[in-house]
Amino acid sequence: MSAPDREGYGARQAQLLDALLRGGDYPAGFVAAQADAAGRSLRRKRARAVAQAWPALALHLGGTFDARFDAFARAVDAPASGDPLRDGLAFARSLGHDAPLGDDARAELLLARAALCRRGVWVRAARLRRPYARLLVVARVPWLGVVHRSFACLRVASPR
Amino acid sequence: MRTTSVTWQLGQGAGWRPQLDGALARAVGLGFLEVVAESIGAHDLPAGVAAALGRGLQVVPHGVSLSLGGAERPDRARLAHLASVAERVGAPLVSEHIAFVRADGRESGHLLPVPRTYEALEILCENVAIAQDALPVPLALEHVAALVQWPGAEMDEATFVGELIERTGALLLLDLSNLYANAHNHGYDALESLVRFPLDRIAYVHVGGGRVRDGVYHDTHADPVVPGVLALVEELFALTDAPGILLERDDDFPPEAELVAELRAIADAVRRGSEHRVRT
Repeated sequence: MSAPDREGYGARQAQLLDALLRGGDYPAGFVAAQADAAGRSLRRKRARAVAQAWPALALHLGGTFDARFDAFARAVDAPASGDPLRDGLAFARSLGHDAPLGDDARAELLLARAALCRRGVWVRAARLRRPYARLLVVARVPWLGVVHRSFACLRVASPR
Repeated sequence: MRTTSVTWQLGQGAGWRPQLDGALARAVGLGFLEVVAESIGAHDLPAGVAAALGRGLQVVPHGVSLSLGGAERPDRARLAHLASVAERVGAPLVSEHIAFVRADGRESGHLLPVPRTYEALEILCENVAIAQDALPVPLALEHVAALVQWPGAEMDEATFVGELIERTGALLLLDLSNLYANAHNHGYDALESLVRFPLDRIAYVHVGGGRVRDGVYHDTHADPVVPGVLALVEELFALTDAPGILLERDDDFPPEAELVAELRAIADAVRRGSEHRVRT
């Protein structure tokens, strides 16, 4: 018996997987409605994991989260590790000026960037407005991990 | 081929998840837990899993990333991890899926079906044999819920799974929710299909919740077990005994009382089916 054609088999799987991840252009013979449902299911599962890892971002985007993430997921593969924190970071960056982040989401973004930083010392700060004006400083330090502290911003009355 | 026979009795079980740790520790009558092997670290066990072992529960590692239905041969490091988890928990067996999860270096993030062809069967058999050689305990294979089907199927699901189990000597992880989902979504009779699965090779049974969305049944593991699946549990146990049955809940975790009620509903369905079998 001849060995099975693993190369051709793999190419057909890769073609299907690409179509499911992108949401269209399915290989011949597949039922489009079934493939649509399967692709949506893959993207929804990925979205769910990101929403759980990024609760403030999901809350900030509210009812638009699902549609925005679906569009992102069609264009950008999940990280090979499947890590939803890293996936969400790429998603948050993809939003750009399209959806300026609120305070909680910006704080979440800083903490995620620090957690995903793998080498050396990393320090960033963000000025937050609510519930009171403060400066959030987040650092990732070797051996210590991620540390953060916020400082109230004092308003100094300017001399008249 | 490495034909293995079932030497264990697992009883009723549940998929261990950190969010369910407290409820599962208090649940009465559980005989085993299933842990997702990829969620276990290289050295330590989660405290809840270690505690369950201490209480005498059996633990079955469940792999989700071997991609046994993929074109590539199973990765040695992933197999070594699955073997290591099995040894650390003293597992009677491990389980994986009849599915592919990656292709051409890209991850799907989920379990995708394989074509039901003789070519796919040959590749699966080779991959399963590689896995069996690397694992210290028997391997059970689970058929998956598939929203999309490959064209050109040369056999139906029960026949395909039966061929695979027979050729590899592996055991069957019968997932009644996946069977229900596929029958609902692809228009065939679940019970007629069930009786043609290799029921004499069952290692244990999975049951999970799901819901219908836009006319399609989704095996979500985030909803209650539907009555149609409980009916299949009863039908199965009316036909044959099985060494264990396990509830999978992976998301939208319910209050403890609801989880306990789900476990009780499954146990009741098993009891009704078993009583019917004994009577006839």
